[in-house]
Amino acid sequence: MHSINDRNKEIGKFIPAADDDLIICRCEEITKGEIRKAVHDGMFTVTEMRRYLRCGMGLCQGQTCAKLTKNIIARELNVSPSTLEPATSRSPMRPIEMKILGKEEVNKNERD
Amino acid sequence: MERITEHPILGETKKGREISFLFDGKPLKGYEGEPIAVALRAAGVMTHRYTQKRHEPRGVFCAIGRCTDCVMIVDGVPNTRTCITPLVEGMKVQTQDGVVAKEEKGERSK
Amino acid sequence: MKRYDLIIVGAGPAGLSAAIEAAKKGLHVVVFDENLRPGGQLFKQIHKFFGSKEHQAKVRGFNIGKKLLAEATQLGVEVQLNATVTGMYLDKEVIVKKGDEIFHFKGDAIIVATGASENSVPFKGWTLPGVIGAGAAQTMMNLHGIKPGKKILMLGSGNVGLVVSFQLLQAGCDVVAIVDAAPHIGGYGVHAAKVARCGVPFYLSHTIQSVSGDEKVEKVVIGAVDSSFTLIPETEKTFTVDTICVAVGLSPMSQLFKMAGCKMDDNPKKGGQVPVCNEWGETSIKGIFAAGDVAGIEEASSAMIEGKMAGVCASEYLGYCSSAEQAKDLENMAKDLDSLRQGMFAIKNRGKKIETTMEGIPISTNLLKKGFLSDADIKRFSPTKKIAGVHPVIECTQNIPCNPCQDACVRHCIKIGKDITALPVVDTTKTCMGCGLCVAACSGQAIFLVNEDFSSDYALITLPYEFLPLPQKGEKGKATTRSGEILCDAEVISVKTSKAYDHTALLTMKVPLAMSEKARFFKKVKSYA
Repeated sequence: MHSINDRNKEIGKFIPAADDDLIICRCEEITKGEIRKAVHDGMFTVTEMRRYLRCGMGLCQGQTCAKLTKNIIARELNVSPSTLEPATSRSPMRPIEMKILGKEEVNKNERD
Repeated sequence: MERITEHPILGETKKGREISFLFDGKPLKGYEGEPIAVALRAAGVMTHRYTQKRHEPRGVFCAIGRCTDCVMIVDGVPNTRTCITPLVEGMKVQTQDGVVAKEEKGERSK
Repeated sequence: MKRYDLIIVGAGPAGLSAAIEAAKKGLHVVVFDENLRPGGQLFKQIHKFFGSKEHQAKVRGFNIGKKLLAEATQLGVEVQLNATVTGMYLDKEVIVKKGDEIFHFKGDAIIVATGASENSVPFKGWTLPGVIGAGAAQTMMNLHGIKPGKKILMLGSGNVGLVVSFQLLQAGCDVVAIVDAAPHIGGYGVHAAKVARCGVPFYLSHTIQSVSGDEKVEKVVIGAVDSSFTLIPETEKTFTVDTICVAVGLSPMSQLFKMAGCKMDDNPKKGGQVPVCNEWGETSIKGIFAAGDVAGIEEASSAMIEGKMAGVCASEYLGYCSSAEQAKDLENMAKDLDSLRQGMFAIKNRGKKIETTMEGIPISTNLLKKGFLSDADIKRFSPTKKIAGVHPVIECTQNIPCNPCQDACVRHCIKIGKDITALPVVDTTKTCMGCGLCVAACSGQAIFLVNEDFSSDYALITLPYEFLPLPQKGEKGKATTRSGEILCDAEVISVKTSKAYDHTALLTMKVPLAMSEKARFFKKVKSYA
């Protein structure tokens, strides 16, 4: 586990900034201020942030905002971004419609 | 935006046959097989959708099917990435507002 | 479930090169690519590549792509397009989405060459239609024949930002400025010089403050930043634009490795999260390999060699070639790769403060800050003796691995030597015949032919010209300086085109003799309002 999960770490209070209204997650329209505030709510990892705010869970699945979100969290925690565990990588790596997963036949032979 | 007819390195731009399609009910022209987004841009259309929460305009951002900002309702199917979907004769392309067609939304009172 | 000897994810330069190498050794290879077209970023690259002959120097990216694809197809490699690998598992099983169906495949070995995705930088107004990635601009111009916009501001001065800016000019767009928060231009000086001589201004230590407009980009405000990238008040500059192009770096798309359980490393020098692998691309899971940008952001030339290495290693792993054969192949490929990883911009030299070239000449700081060589720089890099008659003038002042100019001259006027990062030197004992092949061969468009003995009042300058419309013989226009400023009257003496020049026209203009050291570009004079 990374050292960042020490919830007792003192990171100070949330200080509003001029660019808090800047959209970071374009798909879900989550702002920089919301992400920063969420760190002070206790969201110290990228995975928690994703589940709390939905940033990275929209149509593009974090393609655009993942690195930005990680950097904002790292900055708020006052640590280097490379010490933060990035979001979990799980199938499907690209958005896929439910109907496609729904009709998957497990033992289907590939006929091409 | 203007189309490039002749390029100093790539030469003459080769396109499929010219076809018509519908954009929010309006007839537009494009070339068969090119991405819908290209035909729209050539016709001067920059806004593809409005976002769910803030109703802000979005258009092409990455142009390779990754960012999903260019999605529109195409032949009734919402969230279709117009930058990688080939244009077909008679296609019905609609501006998306949230996840429904803007044309239809405008009819309902806000 | 269908089984392949080798599954390759990604049909870009690394993936195709790996497929070719493995197919040559007899493997049954399939390449899955999520895109409609193969070749990765290659088909969007219309500039001539650097390096040496082995690295496909002076060949345009899209032609390299065509060659790779043809060779792979000829060797029986199955390239499946519109086939998205949505998952990869520990036991080398992959899930592929084709159309609206899911398929499972097993590979005895897997090479993942999925490349990289573009980074973003948020600024006020970045969600407005008209803000696009650099890749988007290339896709629109070079694949679909449409201008991304009319007036464009480029954010980012790395090689991508510089190369795409030049391509925008070639497509007929107006690039109003190149902006970068860093104090120095990140990409090659020769790429910057190509756009600087067309008059594109550089704003280093600047960033975008805001972009605004009615439902689309109409205006951009940039401001200066200090060394901690904080905006300095009262330094705003406004531009009327319809497009903002963002070229702020790439990040490896390495999620598949993570999913399969490979050991990962977050390495900023490599661009982000990469699988931990040895120098041949073997990851921590036997039989899973990485090649190309996904293993570390570099360029297409190195991606191709890494692909070949992974292809050879996968072949050996599956018993299709002996360890001895593998060692021999890898030794040659490693040499090729190493020769690319030298010079001022090599990964190993990133972050180092470089003050002189390998030859001991102080580098041009003007080139790094403004994108063009100053008159003092030219004097410092020029030969001390005046050369009579027509002769090449080479304005290549940074050590980068590149040598097509040396091979281009049949009279051997240009010397680089064994170390291809050395600066090219004009051999004054040889006589130039003015053919201009060196001018056309230089991928950085940094070679000119100058003849100061043309007449008592005039000099002739031959320069590379890659724009339309091509100027005509006899046309009168203006010569500009290296920074794109109008210098003097110029008359076009000849415009030579040839298949050998590969779409680089050689424009020879007549300028007043006193301007021979400054005139480096030809600007057409508009004959209408």
